Amino acid sequence: MSHDAHHAPVASKLELAPERSDLGLYRPDRTRGLLDWLTTVDHKKIGVLYGAFAMLYFLIGGLEALAIRTQLARPDQTFVTARMYNQLFTMHGTTMIFLGVMPLSAAFFNFLVPLQIGARDVAFPRLNAFSLWAFVFGAFVLNASWLFEFGHLAGWFDGFAWHQALTYTDFAPANGWFSYAPLSGTFGQANAALQAPRFTGVGTDFWIIGIQILGVASLAASFNFICTIINMRAKGMTMMRLPVFTWMTLVTSFLIILAFPAITVALIELMFDRQFGANFFNPSAGGQPVLWQHLFWIFGHPEVYILVLPAMGIVSEILPTFSGKALFGYPIIVFSGAVIGFLGFAVWSHHMFTTGLGPVPTAAFALLTMAIAVPTGVKIFNWLGTIWGGRIRFTPPMVLALGFIWMFMCGGFSGVMHSAAPADSQQQDSYFVIAHFHYVLLGGVLLGLMAGLYFWFPKIFGRMPNATVAYVASGLVILGFNLAFGPMHYLGLAGQPRRTHTYHAGNGWEDWNFVATVGAFILGIGVFMAFANLVYTAFKGPKCSSDPWDGRTLEWSLPSPVPEYNFAQSPVVSARDAFTEHKHGTKRIAYEADGGEAGVHMPSQSWMPMLAAGGFLFIGFGMPMMAMGIPHAGWIVVSGVAVLFAGIWFWALEGPGGYMLKTPAVSPTPAGTPAASTSAH
Amino acid sequence: MSQDAAHHAPTSTGIDHKKLIMWLFLASDCMFFGTLISTHLLYRKLYPTGFTDAEGHQQFVQKLFNIELTSFSTFILLMSSFLMALAVSAMHKGQLKSFRRNVVGVIFFGLIFLGCQVYEFTHFYHQGLTIQNSVLGSTFYVLTGTHGTHVAIGILWLVMLYFYSFTGKLGGHVGALDVEVAGLYWHFVDIVWIIIFTAVYLVEYLGPSGIWGNGLPVLAK
Ligand code: HEM
Ligand SMILES: [Cu+2]
Repeated sequence: MSHDAHHAPVASKLELAPERSDLGLYRPDRTRGLLDWLTTVDHKKIGVLYGAFAMLYFLIGGLEALAIRTQLARPDQTFVTARMYNQLFTMHGTTMIFLGVMPLSAAFFNFLVPLQIGARDVAFPRLNAFSLWAFVFGAFVLNASWLFEFGHLAGWFDGFAWHQALTYTDFAPANGWFSYAPLSGTFGQANAALQAPRFTGVGTDFWIIGIQILGVASLAASFNFICTIINMRAKGMTMMRLPVFTWMTLVTSFLIILAFPAITVALIELMFDRQFGANFFNPSAGGQPVLWQHLFWIFGHPEVYILVLPAMGIVSEILPTFSGKALFGYPIIVFSGAVIGFLGFAVWSHHMFTTGLGPVPTAAFALLTMAIAVPTGVKIFNWLGTIWGGRIRFTPPMVLALGFIWMFMCGGFSGVMHSAAPADSQQQDSYFVIAHFHYVLLGGVLLGLMAGLYFWFPKIFGRMPNATVAYVASGLVILGFNLAFGPMHYLGLAGQPRRTHTYHAGNGWEDWNFVATVGAFILGIGVFMAFANLVYTAFKGPKCSSDPWDGRTLEWSLPSPVPEYNFAQSPVVSARDAFTEHKHGTKRIAYEADGGEAGVHMPSQSWMPMLAAGGFLFIGFGMPMMAMGIPHAGWIVVSGVAVLFAGIWFWALEGPGGYMLKTPAVSPTPAGTPAASTSAH
Repeated sequence: MSQDAAHHAPTSTGIDHKKLIMWLFLASDCMFFGTLISTHLLYRKLYPTGFTDAEGHQQFVQKLFNIELTSFSTFILLMSSFLMALAVSAMHKGQLKSFRRNVVGVIFFGLIFLGCQVYEFTHFYHQGLTIQNSVLGSTFYVLTGTHGTHVAIGILWLVMLYFYSFTGKLGGHVGALDVEVAGLYWHFVDIVWIIIFTAVYLVEYLGPSGIWGNGLPVLAK
């Protein structure tokens, strides 16, 4: 293979001699600027791209939320139609979960995991790039449904036969983020064109294929991260010395690879129902819509832990740093994370109490759901134990992390409330559930992720976000959030149903709905400010030292921004919180004798991950267009599959490639000197 | 196919990245087939009679199945796994010729299996079982079809390895690993078929009245 005939080590990849790969093509190694970003296999750049897209989708999902709240501000409003309202809440939920929280978590996985375990990259760098582009294209497909919807509203399609033949014209998904059958499915007999009558428009088909593509992206990324964490730890980095964030990444990745297949199959079955006239969920042919609910929640409940565990990992890094203490009960935090992951597979039916499961399953699922609150509570006590008696330094990440504990706990309480099945039958499908999962997801997860952004931004860009703006933004977020979602507990118990585009005056819901809308706008301004502050910092913020927080884990021992080879010499660790020990304790980080003039091995960049993922773009557009009845749309799907296979084929043939990069001979952080000062602000 | 960065450094566990990621994929695929098989079995339990044939009569699956043919194709797939094991061991010993011979055998047997499946699908279709006319048709075709797709991808992979072996680049530790990983996949797909064969075909014949309690005599034809 070509990489055995190594080039001589170079100081910068721009100095590489051009070399053809086995395919006879040049690898895009010597690129800079845009081309470099498009072909990168560097986990740090991939992480930044994930983060940038996630923030974009947070803003889009936020705008959808504000449209929803505007509609509900007063009774009997007509800001949007009922049909539009359905599309708004569906896309809002789907966007926030799959295009906001998951990719932002993935951004942290990418950026941090190799640094925290002392590695130079992930196990499969090109696969990592593939995950990124599959996510980007899947997200685009999902949101392209809006473009079709706007085209439809603007009348662009009116002249076409296929458009006139459509029964329903919601072009954006409109089934809710869990797309319950039979609403998302079909009824009656399939006709000659294999099409059974459907309850909803092609938005559902966009949703099906979009989620499917995003699933592939998540699966590929998770395989990669498990491999990386298990196999690429630096010397001395035993499993019980892993930073907690890395542990939570590991648990999350296992949840993904075991939970996503259920939704993959469910989506395939639903797709067969809608596009090929199958009967999986078609009630008029004996299909059981409740099967969809089971399959969805077998995925869906682990999914909520997929969303929250990374944020818990982040908080478990931030609290010790700013309390000046080691994490209280590290093994217990790790163990409860694993228990949560395990139990998470055994509670899915608590989302289905009202379907009438029968007394025994209902009791069993209620008990298991209550049980899962135990390891969650254990973590909270451990966090409290961590800050207890610590020398607390207030910084933006710390404030957000404390906010996380507080808000997440409120969400946990309401969760335990609806683990009691009789109580849940009152709460199900009401605003109470909305309040619950926003407390865990927004008050919990989003605050945790924002804390992470403010914590690691100085490492990612070597620049420090403005603290005053950050405090104001955090205050607005926490205030607005509680104003928006606190009252929903009351509204739900007072009977306001979720997913209903309006309500009449006279139910006693007017005032709190208005408050909630005001809160939502304050929240929106807060999140926007927090993000704007970050974007500004990335380009123009003041430079800061490489260890501005007196960090505890390996990534803080590196220069900021982190060089492309990460570690000039591979670290050898001999303690948990290796960098703290190194600076303030007795156990120094040692370094292996690699790198230097001989160089370290860097993987070659490649176009193939993007090409292969590009196949999904065709498939993603082709399937819904088939469902629209657009002639010959099937060929778009076929060509998509061809592009996907071609991409993988070239990928295999071009080989891993690689070159040797020189590194500074001594590790940049002088051993023994406490790096930087403890706190500069 | 891409053990990009790290073939220089030994791994923390001593297990190659490629092998580890294949095991992880297979774990995930277990859940995938588990879900499909459960769907099928749940509906079998719910609707013991199978489907309505072209004449509008209710039909039982046993009438449809040709258990001799399916047993034959199962046997063929099992034997292909045997050849795959030989191919992997040949590759480990660096015997490229023997690897090729065995891999051609695997591909050939795999194709026979797929041929049987195509025959079975057309036959069932003519008997009146379609994806649209019953839940049974939906679950049966999608489950076995998904398995068939796995076999087809496996064949494609092996064909590519076969041709790649002529370029002289398939060899040494990396080559043996590549073949071994393909072998893991192939054996897995084979095991899944054993489970499908048992759960979808064989159990339909259990007991005088079948485990679904449909009161049908054994092997009614
Ligand atoms: C103490 C732990 C928790 C318990 C006991 C719990 C319990 C429940 C129950 C019983 C429901 C169903 C309510 C209904 O539909 O009637 C529910 C819904 C939900 N939970 Fe939790 N939960 C917990 C933590 C979490 C976490 C950590 C997350 C996410 C980060 C989360 C996200 C959700 C979501 C998204 C829904 C609503 C799904 C929907 O209907 O759209 N929960 N929870
Ligand atoms: Cu749940």
